[in-house]
Amino acid sequence: MDTYTLEIEGLSKSYGRLKALDSLSLQVERGNVFGLLGPNGSGKTTTLGILLDIIRKDGGTFKWFGELSSPQVRKRIGALLEQPLFYPYLSAVQNLKIIADIRGVSYSEIEKVLQLVDLNHRKGSKFKTFSLGMKQRLAIAAAMLGNPDVLILDEPTNGLDPRGIADIRELIIRIAKTGITIILASHLLDEVEKVCSHVAVLDHGKKLFSGTVSGVLSGSSTFEIAAEDMSMLEKILLDQQWVTNLRKEGRGFAFRTNNDYSATAINQFFVQKGIYLSHLTELHQSLEKYFLELLSDNHDSTY
Amino acid sequence: MIRLIKIDFRKYFYNRSFWILTSLYFLLIVLVFVGSQGFINKIMHNVGKNSPIAIPDFSLYSFPYVWHNLAFLAGFFKIFPALIVIIFITNEFSYKTVRQNVMAGMSRGEFLFSKLFFVFLYSLASAVILLFTALILGITHTQVITSAIVFQKMYFVAAYFLELFTFSILALMIAFLVKKQGLSIGVLALYFYVIEPLVAYKLPDGVSYFLPVKVMGRLIDIPNSSLMKIFGVNFREYIAVQDVVLCLFYSLFFIAIVYWFLKKSDI
Repeated sequence: MDTYTLEIEGLSKSYGRLKALDSLSLQVERGNVFGLLGPNGSGKTTTLGILLDIIRKDGGTFKWFGELSSPQVRKRIGALLEQPLFYPYLSAVQNLKIIADIRGVSYSEIEKVLQLVDLNHRKGSKFKTFSLGMKQRLAIAAAMLGNPDVLILDEPTNGLDPRGIADIRELIIRIAKTGITIILASHLLDEVEKVCSHVAVLDHGKKLFSGTVSGVLSGSSTFEIAAEDMSMLEKILLDQQWVTNLRKEGRGFAFRTNNDYSATAINQFFVQKGIYLSHLTELHQSLEKYFLELLSDNHDSTY
Repeated sequence: MIRLIKIDFRKYFYNRSFWILTSLYFLLIVLVFVGSQGFINKIMHNVGKNSPIAIPDFSLYSFPYVWHNLAFLAGFFKIFPALIVIIFITNEFSYKTVRQNVMAGMSRGEFLFSKLFFVFLYSLASAVILLFTALILGITHTQVITSAIVFQKMYFVAAYFLELFTFSILALMIAFLVKKQGLSIGVLALYFYVIEPLVAYKLPDGVSYFLPVKVMGRLIDIPNSSLMKIFGVNFREYIAVQDVVLCLFYSLFFIAIVYWFLKKSDI
């Protein structure tokens, strides 16, 4: 029964008239590396803040490990929200001792997590002397204190230089291999594509999609076509139920097919309609393309 | 509970400004205790040169009056602990470490509780300093010492503790509600020096009697000196039960407001 690490049901939050979250529902299964994808301001951090009891929800419910949220439950969750939060005048070890005391974890664990993020050599230095990349790694170390069942990372590579980004990604992948459930919020698609097994796409506080990353990449295909009579082509395309996300692109039109239409089938279809295509390509679907399509769809329907 | 104290303790113990402010504060009150008698007498001697009647020397330090005298004097410096309370609570908000603490598994109630403990211990430490300084000064300045006169008015130390504690809880409430350091200090000063005096001025005496700063200030009344007796002024030489009750009420009331606020708000 307890296969869900996290279940969210109808979660809502408003800041004044702004709806930051609009009845969001999600499930994260145990062992998933779950990507929460969305542009800035789409409600990712609000969602995580509510899940960590930092932000008060207006409505809806969520359960961790099948239980309602409590400080006890939070001790099984390691989190890094937005930016590393530590006492600047305390050393790395002293900061981690505070977390260890809060979580009821032995100090001997501190050495282990510092080793994990490769900060052992700076453990006695004050937090304020750390570079951003080191601060971020220390935050991951703090989140990993006491072997949590879930690790929450919110934009973990934000603001880092390429070296720092590579370090953090490599670290996340290494942690993911231990079988821990990870929830990773990001607006960086290739980050999610590289690291995650599952993904949910958020925009304006609404869930646009959720499923496996490989499902997103293989479930549908995108074609780019062109013909001499472009207006005729457009007219026909607009009438077809199996054509979605139609847009002008380059020399012709790009669209997605919800059925498994092949290039041959499409070619055949237009020939029957009396149109000979001058250009037909099946585009390699990337998460990035799909993401942008989802967002543009959503905006078309709302504006 | 020990765990909460330990967590909070680590936040202060390695902080240099905490120790600088604390040593300044403790040094200051001890200096004031030790120096006040000589200072007052020096002024009074100068004034007394032209006086038709001889002004008797002040004796601040003799038992049992030393308790009342020094507790009253110490009351003027309660702004220091209040500042420390504000600085360290607003720090948690500006570093956002309150978020980190709660995310790591502390409840909001526990977080408040750890701060209340700090206020309690800091007030207690101040009271202990008063206790020992007054004891030493009393012993060295009283001719005939009996245990009865030593202990007779010792409860003024407890009253001082209560005054300091209540005032620091007021500061704690402002810090939790305002969250910004400079602004919190400003709000406390504004309330203390401007808002409450103005409100008290507008309200009828029967009502302004119950305002918090008035209650705290009244808890330990001005000590009667020999000079005042000459002028026939007579201040209260005991602690009134209703003031103690009102101080305790305000402490609980402020704590309840913070607790309610913390429970319902985003941090």
